[in-house]
Amino acid sequence: MALIECRELTKEYRRGENVIRPLQELDLEVEAGAFLALMGPSGSGKTTLLNLIAGIDQPTRGELIIDGEDVGKLSRSRLAAWRADYIGYVFQLYNLVPVLTAYENVELPLLLHPIKRRERHERVATALELVGLADRHDHYPRQLSGGQEQRVAIARAIVADPRIIVADEPTGDLDKPAAHAIMNLLTRLNQELGKTMIMVTHDAHTAEYAARTLHLDKGRLVESGAHIAAGAAMEAAS
Amino acid sequence: MIRFRMMPLVIRQVTRHRTRTLLTAGGVATSMFLFVAVQAMQNGVAMATETSAADTTLVVYREDRYCPFTSRLPQYYLRDILTIQGVESAVPMKVVVSNCRASLDVVTFRGVPSEEFSGDYAARMTLIDGDLQQWRRRSDAALVGETLAARRGLKIGDRFDAAGVITYVAAIISSHEPQDQNVAYVHLDFLQQTTDRKLGTVTQFNIKVQSPKYLDSVARAVDERFASAEYPTSTRPEKAFVAQAAADMIELIGFTRWLGWGCLAAVLALVGNAIVLGVQDRIREHAVLQTLGYNSFLIQRLIVTESLLLGLLGGVLGAGLAVGVLQWGQFALTADGVSIPFAAGWTLILFGVGLSVLLGVVAGLVPAWQAARRPITTCFRAV
Ligand SMILES: Nc1ncnc2c1ncn2[C@@H]1O[C@H](COP(=O)(O)OP(=O)(O)OP(=O)(O)O)[C@@H](O)[C@H]1O
Ligand SMILES: [Mg+2]
Repeated sequence: MALIECRELTKEYRRGENVIRPLQELDLEVEAGAFLALMGPSGSGKTTLLNLIAGIDQPTRGELIIDGEDVGKLSRSRLAAWRADYIGYVFQLYNLVPVLTAYENVELPLLLHPIKRRERHERVATALELVGLADRHDHYPRQLSGGQEQRVAIARAIVADPRIIVADEPTGDLDKPAAHAIMNLLTRLNQELGKTMIMVTHDAHTAEYAARTLHLDKGRLVESGAHIAAGAAMEAAS
Repeated sequence: MIRFRMMPLVIRQVTRHRTRTLLTAGGVATSMFLFVAVQAMQNGVAMATETSAADTTLVVYREDRYCPFTSRLPQYYLRDILTIQGVESAVPMKVVVSNCRASLDVVTFRGVPSEEFSGDYAARMTLIDGDLQQWRRRSDAALVGETLAARRGLKIGDRFDAAGVITYVAAIISSHEPQDQNVAYVHLDFLQQTTDRKLGTVTQFNIKVQSPKYLDSVARAVDERFASAEYPTSTRPEKAFVAQAAADMIELIGFTRWLGWGCLAAVLALVGNAIVLGVQDRIREHAVLQTLGYNSFLIQRLIVTESLLLGLLGGVLGAGLAVGVLQWGQFALTADGVSIPFAAGWTLILFGVGLSVLLGVVAGLVPAWQAARRPITTCFRAV
């Protein structure tokens, strides 16, 4: 069974008479450990789909079954707890808390769990080491470059060891070398730690890191296929 | 309310906008300072005027007179008073004040005969410094209430001049009775001679009855006894007497209650405003926290804790300062020879701080509720 199953997943917004339908009866399966890229024109519903899978938004109709549970039907508070367990979210604009240091930002998800200070410390240190920023732990976001901020955000997304990482244009605001570093990092999370990765991107080159790319248009999937180029892109980059 | 490990998160938010926090806490502190001062006056009125079940003191005053200058009674009434059933002891007393108007620093002299004074009447006081024997021996000696001594900085052996009366501080006493705390007891004949030379005339008699149940019957008996005499009397329990004598002042103090309520409203508005601004600044941040798995109830508690801290900070500053100032100044409002002290102590600090914290919590509730209600995805799109 796939880790993520969408069946006739639909999202609607009503504005008076108008009905906006960013997602229309979408069917999708994502296996555990997959690396999926979502592409498509602006307004095609990529973020909407990502947010549904991340459990920060709820579908109007259809089913969204993740690890055997219909996430679309969880209550608000159950959904929050579910997110803490399953999802790490990487934003385009990093979204670090500006008054907290890199260390404290990464620590945020762990504060939800009753774990000892020392263990918390170890896990934050491990996550920061993984993204190569152990020496920047006491820096505030404004003291970091965009690429570094995004790496802190990735550390924050993985520190609680979620099964799924979603990323909405994670390199959209970065220059080429920084984007490349981020993509290498995400690829490692997928290959070495087995995280299921779903990434939205506008950039075909970035999409090549993924094993599979899906195209959305007007809330529907238009084509799908396995990407053989993923490995090649990795080689070319390194 | 929230886990201890989340406290640093809240404290970071409080210290985030230092100027805003300082202004808010300063405003709260000012309001709480005023509120506590008002409350101290209200408490003082209660202490000075509310008769308790154990009270056994009656004050005999000239009928229809309300001020020590006009209440004159013959000293020989004492003999008659002592024969009334239920009277344990009685002290004739001449009252002289340094200032007729209501003021914060009136010196009130009470002239009492030393022989009557030493018995029952003195029993309600505790000597905290000096020597009662010396007070008895020296004709110009004064026995000074703790509050008055603190306010005027008086020590044993000081000469002390007020209302044209120069006395020698022989002892300092404390008493549960607010009226004793704020007066100087001197010898009756000394006071009669140094002021109006009306020997044989006193302002009032203070009667101690054998038990509280005699208060009414003795009061009635005294007034009946002198009803047809040249100088009729009006007798009331001491605290009721204070309430009557200071009625105007008490009415004014009662009015300040509104000021107190106003201060509380100001605290609510100040903290509420700061939290609303802070929450608006952080719409996206709260959405991020929710994305990480923080539920809306937790977000609410974080926000409310933040406003609680603002209330606490302002409350501790304001209430602490107010009680400090009032303790240091030992102020009492005095008019017509009776005083209403500012009753400010630890319990008032706790009350003030507690109230301030409570208001902080209340002020945070609505912004917290609003912040947590907003759907996460719209928060991200909003900015
Ligand atoms: N809260 C909302 N109310 C109304 N319409 C919305 C809301 N959120 C999204 N939409 C609409 O849904 C459609 C899809 O939006 P979505 O953000 O998913 O697009 P996207 O593919 O991520 O675009 P982009 O590449 O520009 O990020 C858009 O037309 C958008 O205007
Ligand atoms: Mg988008």
